[in-house]
Amino acid sequence: MNESQPSATPPPIPPTINSALPLGEHPDDRLPITGPVTAVEALLRQPRRMLFQLRQSGAAKIIAGLLLVAVLCAAVYGLVVGSFAGGAQYWIAPVKIVGGMVVAALICLPSLYIFSCLAGSQARLAEVFGLVVGLLVLTTILLIGFAPVAWVFSQSTNSITAMGFLHLAFWAVATFFGWRFLKNGFAHLSAQSMGALYVWICIFVLVCLQMTTALRPIIGTSEDFFPKEKKFFLAHWFEVLEQRPAQPASATQR
Amino acid sequence: MTTPSQALPPLALGQIPTLLRGEPGPIQLWIGDWRASRVLFYAAVTVAGTAAFGLVLGAWRDPMQGVYTAIKFPLIVLLTAMGNGLLNGMLAPLLGTNISFRQSLLAVLMSFTIAAAVLGACAPLIYFAIWNAPKFSGALAGTALTIHSVIYLGLVAAMAVAGLAGNVRLLQLLRRISGNEGAARRTLFAWLAGNLFLGSQLAWMARPFVGAPHLPVEFLRPNALEGNFYESFWQHLQQIFQ
Repeated sequence: MNESQPSATPPPIPPTINSALPLGEHPDDRLPITGPVTAVEALLRQPRRMLFQLRQSGAAKIIAGLLLVAVLCAAVYGLVVGSFAGGAQYWIAPVKIVGGMVVAALICLPSLYIFSCLAGSQARLAEVFGLVVGLLVLTTILLIGFAPVAWVFSQSTNSITAMGFLHLAFWAVATFFGWRFLKNGFAHLSAQSMGALYVWICIFVLVCLQMTTALRPIIGTSEDFFPKEKKFFLAHWFEVLEQRPAQPASATQR
Repeated sequence: MTTPSQALPPLALGQIPTLLRGEPGPIQLWIGDWRASRVLFYAAVTVAGTAAFGLVLGAWRDPMQGVYTAIKFPLIVLLTAMGNGLLNGMLAPLLGTNISFRQSLLAVLMSFTIAAAVLGACAPLIYFAIWNAPKFSGALAGTALTIHSVIYLGLVAAMAVAGLAGNVRLLQLLRRISGNEGAARRTLFAWLAGNLFLGSQLAWMARPFVGAPHLPVEFLRPNALEGNFYESFWQHLQQIFQ
């Protein structure tokens, strides 16, 4: 620490940008996004900059980079999820989490676009896709933030129920922030009503929750990659809750 | 001054978001500028959206049922629009909305296009839900009946949302054309009543759509002219809550 030149005044806090200001009006909005790292930084610190860049001609490159980041982050978090059971789950859990996330987003994309148009938004399909990818990136980046905590619990508990609850809680918190980005995005796209967007996020959450059951087991293990029996996620959860806690001796039973 | 939306050619896909947003300027211009290619384009979008929705609805019972529903669903929508076209065209000026027969047909077709776009967008969601349901071949009789009822209610819910979206936009358009809130509401109500009356009966005659578990997969039921839509809806509600 350099104490020879003590600073008399702390560095100024950057002024908060008025959220009502149209995109591109503030000079920071127009700063180019050069790569995935800058894109992630913009998502976390300057969402307006990301929203502005998503409307520009080079947005496809940014979206592709963001999608790659989301896939990588989901895969890394999948490794942490797989570490609970170990063995084959080290590759099965990342594959299922990445696949499930991408498929859920693709299933919900058409309805989001239609709903956004009905709400009066001027967004193009590519912009809506960019916003959804932004939601996925924010969600998965935050999941990476939670990953060390999840890993510690994975190594110290034998309860699938507890781990399932923990992962769901982390996912819920992360999705909330992703949703906030999406909502801000639509507010800047002339959406006159947010009602349709609230309906959509409910649908998206339901699809994601059902995806966890459709692709089970993600935390535990099974001989089959996909489950043989179709179930509604609530029914599956209640069944898991009614089961006895798994035996700690063998990781393959988890 | 012409906006980009107004300048769109009759076959441009960009018309769909404009219709969904209910942008009054371009829509009123399109209504006034009758072109067969535009009508065909709206009909094509309506067919695509409703066919995609029909395909996933019937898919749970049997893939062939999905194909049948994908054929019948667009037919019902288009037949309703055409069957009531003359009546709608006559009712509009009588109720205070001074538009021509062609314009009324195009306005109704536009609202059906909006509804079809919503249904088409819901198709992947419905398919995901159906994919997660126990397969028809492996399901017990009681379970199959419950799943059938849930899909049936899902169909009604999706159609209600799609219909609402289409009609809200239609009301805005009628309000703009007539310049009179009361006339617009009266016209919409009359059109809705007529379309519902004809559409529900056509739908009843063209059943099955989801495909009842205890009945064979068919294009049309042999007793196509027996019973009615509302009676069936009530029975499905009872099945779920009993």
